[in-house]
Amino acid sequence: MAELAKVEQELEIAVDVVKRDFLKILTIAGGAVAAGAIAWPFIDALNPSAESLALARPIVEVGGIAPNTALRFVWLGLPIYIRKLTDKQIADNQFIVPASLPDPADYTSRVRPGYETFVVVVGLNTGVPCELLGNDPSDARGPYDGWSCPCDGSVSDPLGRVRLGPAARTLAIPKFTFLNDSQIQFG
Amino acid sequence: MAEQTKPWVEKRLPVSAALQTHVAGLLKPRDLPYSATLGVLITGAVAFLVASGLVLSVYYDPAHAFDSVQFITREVNYGWLIKGFHATGTTMLFATVYLVFFRALLSREYKAPGEIVWFLKILMLLTLLLVGWLGYTLADGADSYWSLNDAALTASRLDGLPGAVGIWFFGGPETAGTLARMAVLHAALAFAVFLVLAIHYAAKRAIALAPARPVALHPYYTSQYFVSFCVFALIFAILVFFAPHLGQNPLNLAAPSGLVVPDAVSPPWYLLPEAGLANAGGGPLAHIIAFIAAFAVLAALPWLDRSAPGTPPSGRARFLTYLLALDLIGLCLTQTAIPSALSSILAAIFIAWYFLHFLVLTPLVTASEPK
Repeated sequence: MAELAKVEQELEIAVDVVKRDFLKILTIAGGAVAAGAIAWPFIDALNPSAESLALARPIVEVGGIAPNTALRFVWLGLPIYIRKLTDKQIADNQFIVPASLPDPADYTSRVRPGYETFVVVVGLNTGVPCELLGNDPSDARGPYDGWSCPCDGSVSDPLGRVRLGPAARTLAIPKFTFLNDSQIQFG
Repeated sequence: MAEQTKPWVEKRLPVSAALQTHVAGLLKPRDLPYSATLGVLITGAVAFLVASGLVLSVYYDPAHAFDSVQFITREVNYGWLIKGFHATGTTMLFATVYLVFFRALLSREYKAPGEIVWFLKILMLLTLLLVGWLGYTLADGADSYWSLNDAALTASRLDGLPGAVGIWFFGGPETAGTLARMAVLHAALAFAVFLVLAIHYAAKRAIALAPARPVALHPYYTSQYFVSFCVFALIFAILVFFAPHLGQNPLNLAAPSGLVVPDAVSPPWYLLPEAGLANAGGGPLAHIIAFIAAFAVLAALPWLDRSAPGTPPSGRARFLTYLLALDLIGLCLTQTAIPSALSSILAAIFIAWYFLHFLVLTPLVTASEPK
């Protein structure tokens, strides 16, 4: 009889240990969830708000740009040029052998498939960083009918590829996507 | 890896040994009540306020203060919640601090050798009141604006040293940079609260008696802290989500205007008792003197209380302490009421009772207790 009572007592202790371990795991798990729920707003509050994200990813209307002119607008502090090419400009530059250029780049790398009449570049010369001339047909565009730099005289073609010196790199292309025929979203 | 890394770090930076000595293995008496966990809750609340304050300070702009608070509320991800955390965290902090004072009055822990601990408690309250008032001015609502305006104007009109200190503190009667100063002081003094808490803890440890039947803090009291924390967090959550503007004057949600003076400018609830006591004086200097007097009688309590150290308070002394708490709540209510003859008479009675309690009733009642 006494032995039976002893066995029962030991069994009860074992059950208590299992219960205690379960409660411990439950408390730690609940605590982890609670701590995560508290930490979440603190961390997310330091992310940019929807408003500032929207401002950082502007949508630009390009349907109204006349052929042979470019639209200028400022994004993230940089002048962005969106140029609508003429058929002649495309024909003149489409089949240039890239290796013959100071900074080789072929036609397809300068335009987006399906929207080949638009060239989007950062309008800063890659030599002396001045803003380029040539958005309007009456501007000084240089011998390749593209853009020219008023500071060091570098010349680019309508695709933004550098043709004449001192600048050695073609114009940078910003990050953008065509939403449709007449809208570009930057960022 | 772990069994090699731990002794390597431990030899160079004995973290777990220090935790074992100063936290987990700390010997405590067996029968501490739940009210003994308030100190831990205060430290946690201050840390929480510093964290939410840091997030708010990222977006707060003192030059366009009210608009930037609106921006935080409406545009910043979870900004409304962080702002609610900060406001309700302040409510919870002051509620806990006032409870600690109530506990100290009931348990007579200010008696020898607890005088320094008592002074440090008062210093903590004064620092928190200043941080709280500065934070209230930063909200820059109609109420905050006039509170800051009054304080800065009054300070610049004082003569001599008080005036010079006032102009130095506010940077003149009214300048564009005043709120920027208030923001910097608010943040700097919030960190200073940690220093006061640490010194208070050290002073408390220094006079603690070796317990007769000791028990280690962990896990015995950590589980008690955990229960306290859960209750605290539950009340906090209810207030954040269901009463985010508790104890604030609704006027403070309106934009400030230098040409529109509100009917009744009243601070948030946690500044009301002190605002009420300061109103005992008539002029600007009298406000300051009344405020100092109110805290001076509190600081003199270890000597105004004539009981022998270590004796628990008698029934009459306890009754008077409860009465004092009611008196201060009454004083708060007179401060939020629209100004009238009745409210100013009641305020005068409540203020008189406060000083009567400490200067006359406490010495009389405690001197008559059996020694």
